[in-house]
Amino acid sequence: MEKRTDSPYPKLDRPVLAAVGLLLIVSTILFAWSDRRHDWRWYQSEFRKMVAEKYGAEKAKPIPSGTQQIWVKDLGNADRCITCHQGILWKGFEKADHPFRTHPPEPLKAHPVEKYGCTSCHGGQGYSIDMETAHGPMPHWEEPLLGQQLGTEYSIVDDKSALMQMNCNVCHRYDRETKGADFINNAKKLVAAKGCRACHVINGRGGTIGPDLTWEGEKAAEQFDMSRLSGQRTAFAWHVAHLKEPKALAPDTVMPNFNFGTKDAQSLAMLVMSWRRAPAPVEFRPGVARTDPQTPEEIAEEQRMKTGPGAWFVKTGCFICHNISSLGVKSPAQIGPDLSMAVEDVQSRFGRTLDDFLQSPTGTMSVVLSRQIVLTPEEKLVAIQKVREAYAEYQKQKTAATKTSAAH
Amino acid sequence: MKLLAKLRSEEVSSPSAPGVHPKPFWSFRPRSDREAGDAVVSNFLLHWFPAKTYKPSLDWSYSLWLGTASAALLFLLTLSGLPLLLLYIPSVERAYGSVKDIEYVVTFGKWIRAVHRISAHLMVAVVFLHLVRIFLTGAYKNGSGRGQKREWNWVIGVVMLLLTLFLSFTGYLLPWDQLAYWAVTVGTNIASSIPLVGPTVRELLLGGRTIDQSTLLRFYVLHCILLPAALGVLFAYHMWRVRKDGGLAKADRQALLAEARETGVAPTKTYTLLGVARGTAPTIRAASLEAPDLTVNAVNDLVRRIAIVVLGTIAIVGMLAVFVPSPLEEPANALVTPNPAKAPWYFLWLQEIVTITTVKIGKFTINGAFLGGVILPGILVTLLTLWPWLDRSAAAGAGVWFAGDRKRQNAVFLAICLFILVLTVVGTFMRGPYWHFYWPWQAWPEIPSRI
Amino acid sequence: MTDEKDAGGRREFLYKLGFGAGVAALVGQTGASLRSLVPNVSYDAPTTVKIGPPQEFPDGLKFLPEERLFIFRDGKTFHAVSAVCTHLGCTVRAEALARPEERSVNGVPLRMTHRFLCPCHGSKYDGEGTNVAGPAPRALAWYHLSLAPDDGQLVVDLAREVPHDFRMTLA
Repeated sequence: MEKRTDSPYPKLDRPVLAAVGLLLIVSTILFAWSDRRHDWRWYQSEFRKMVAEKYGAEKAKPIPSGTQQIWVKDLGNADRCITCHQGILWKGFEKADHPFRTHPPEPLKAHPVEKYGCTSCHGGQGYSIDMETAHGPMPHWEEPLLGQQLGTEYSIVDDKSALMQMNCNVCHRYDRETKGADFINNAKKLVAAKGCRACHVINGRGGTIGPDLTWEGEKAAEQFDMSRLSGQRTAFAWHVAHLKEPKALAPDTVMPNFNFGTKDAQSLAMLVMSWRRAPAPVEFRPGVARTDPQTPEEIAEEQRMKTGPGAWFVKTGCFICHNISSLGVKSPAQIGPDLSMAVEDVQSRFGRTLDDFLQSPTGTMSVVLSRQIVLTPEEKLVAIQKVREAYAEYQKQKTAATKTSAAH
Repeated sequence: MKLLAKLRSEEVSSPSAPGVHPKPFWSFRPRSDREAGDAVVSNFLLHWFPAKTYKPSLDWSYSLWLGTASAALLFLLTLSGLPLLLLYIPSVERAYGSVKDIEYVVTFGKWIRAVHRISAHLMVAVVFLHLVRIFLTGAYKNGSGRGQKREWNWVIGVVMLLLTLFLSFTGYLLPWDQLAYWAVTVGTNIASSIPLVGPTVRELLLGGRTIDQSTLLRFYVLHCILLPAALGVLFAYHMWRVRKDGGLAKADRQALLAEARETGVAPTKTYTLLGVARGTAPTIRAASLEAPDLTVNAVNDLVRRIAIVVLGTIAIVGMLAVFVPSPLEEPANALVTPNPAKAPWYFLWLQEIVTITTVKIGKFTINGAFLGGVILPGILVTLLTLWPWLDRSAAAGAGVWFAGDRKRQNAVFLAICLFILVLTVVGTFMRGPYWHFYWPWQAWPEIPSRI
Repeated sequence: MTDEKDAGGRREFLYKLGFGAGVAALVGQTGASLRSLVPNVSYDAPTTVKIGPPQEFPDGLKFLPEERLFIFRDGKTFHAVSAVCTHLGCTVRAEALARPEERSVNGVPLRMTHRFLCPCHGSKYDGEGTNVAGPAPRALAWYHLSLAPDDGQLVVDLAREVPHDFRMTLA
């Protein structure tokens, strides 16, 4: 037998090592539990049961399981709300409890879920898949769910879920009136009626006695002096209190007290809080010009062309290529000949009458009239007549011109 | 069962002729000293170990196993960092979202991130405590062995502490939230207060004058590649040096005692980093061979204790990670400074000093950031680095807790540590909005929110 | 004596069990953590895409680079052919034919104005999308087209392949 040094250590160390092994098992159990404890698993199985009960197991089969997300690239929103709120697009759960309830279909028509997500209207933390952190209010997430619960906390008058209108107006800020956003509409009327612009710049226009309010909603909560504010210490609460009694919060202010009622003050607070730099692209925001604006002269010219004697040519689309100078229609492209003298022109170019040419055109016009501007036989007759009218007008003008030049 | 029995019988019947390895593979259950030695020789990982270890260096109460614990934490950080490396997106637009994803929708993501974060914070603490232990036991002092260079291993240790701090600091920015953005703003502005080169240093660190995409990328590369690589290399060298210097300093004393018992001339041998050394290469007395009653086999008494510490650390961090959530504040916003804006906790003693050291002498104003953030820590680190050469106490003090002739330096050292600790606690728990002082029982004013 | 030995053996076994199970749990934990690399949520583009009002499509062919899709229009009928080469996924290019061909696919006439060439490995497809040369193993996919009920835009469903006699006809 080879030499083996005795050691006193195994006696104590081996049980300790075994105990560490137990700790590792505990740690692994906790680790597994930490992933399984989320409520969404329960909500998903409940919803599946509800659908199976109502519509049969076959219908419940394709309901997705696991974390779900609506990814709106344009807005940068990754909303996982539908992980629990699986019923929003199902019919028949209008009366069900949250989170299984059907979303009212009306607002979704103009704001499809896949293009807007959830949080762009409702607020809340779309990243989260647990109720407390998703709905808020939670520290370090400034956008709580703008729902009834929050509305109750702020004692919003009449409609407890009205706070959501703040988010409507982030995109709809240039609308005079937005359907469904009563508080915001009310506030916009008040802005005009009370003459807020006398002192404040709003959307780049107004007086400079008070601060510029164009981006008031961006102002960090810490920039408000809350020392005289009682109750909730939030920017929204500050605005409501300040609108009701400006001097109570800022003794040196020159802003008059307009004796706003609670609802008016809340409406206006929502409006100013909605004046934020929307991260949404232009196509999400009605009233934001996407093209370079026309001058008044250009607008008047367009109106004249649309309603004048050449209106038919504009409506039908002939004017895209052709001038009709005798009727005062000017083509933006001017690639075809002037239709005022088409009656002579067709004859000299193609050796055919106008009627004949329009019935069976050749060349470019054959393509145009078979693809872009498809006319019924009756419409063709109208076309012939209109071209003749233009020609008559042309001849009249020509004679008049010769007379005047002769007179000179 | 049969197979096991067969294996067992083979073990028993294995030949024990000298020079013949009874097993092709090493064993964690050696039945003889030779098998124990074979285990160390034939296992690559165990090459760091001597075949035999002095009993006192296994003491729980001497080393407190802090070095092993910090190595375990480094291992955990590397391991938990790997999935994060694949899940995190180092771009200003997407970093925050990817961390939110890790927090909320990645399976086990929250736990992995918590393991990484808790290990990082613990590592800063444990590495610092390890340094304190080395100082208080005088373990940077050379003892009986010839060619010992413990003072250099101390210097490497100090560098590793700084690397650990810097690793933690660079990791701070990556989530790209308010906490990250403003901690890095404060941290890098301290660097820029160095006269002449300061602004250049800051600009190099940030890749510009503001914290932006290039900063994120720089911190990312530092955090994931350069600093871990440097720390890994130094760690390997640190361990190798411990072995070269004859093990823990306390074992030195035991060797001295053994020598006093006249056990005869000890054979010497040595290796350098890359091969067998000749001539003036450092040599250690392999005194352990002659003192069998003072030593035990490294396999498996040392291995078992290391397993206890490493696995224990892993278990504790794993459990903490379930219950301690990792913070993630609002997305970084250059327009709003959070109130209060704090550096990471291990820099809070500096932030505390920085707030009180702005001095005005006549017309000159010395920025507190320079005095408190550069000069003072600079002096401390320099002193720390040079201390083995400044410490003139007797060699006998190596490896002894609170050695008699090191009383005064230990007291001063502890006083400085306590000072740092108190300032850290004050900075962490007692500084509220506008850096006002609040007792723990005083409520901070409520921070207002938007809605 | 035997009792003591048994107790020792039992203890021995418990130690082994505790340590062994702990290490096994740790290995399991590490393995399970790899689950983190399987994405739980998708950031991919949706498979049903609105591609614009039908009147904005010219007669003949229009290439949509984002969807990697050719939309063919012949008067009032539309069909969509994938531009993804069936060999290794490069985007094929359409080449106009000198003389358009007429063909009948499953009894439905098809006017072929182009053929498709893959720049990567030289696969060739005819105007119907059938692979005729090169390494391509299959014909190009045809996708389902429909009109959006809300705004009348053309909608392509990139997850729904259709046979080559599929046409969407405007009312």
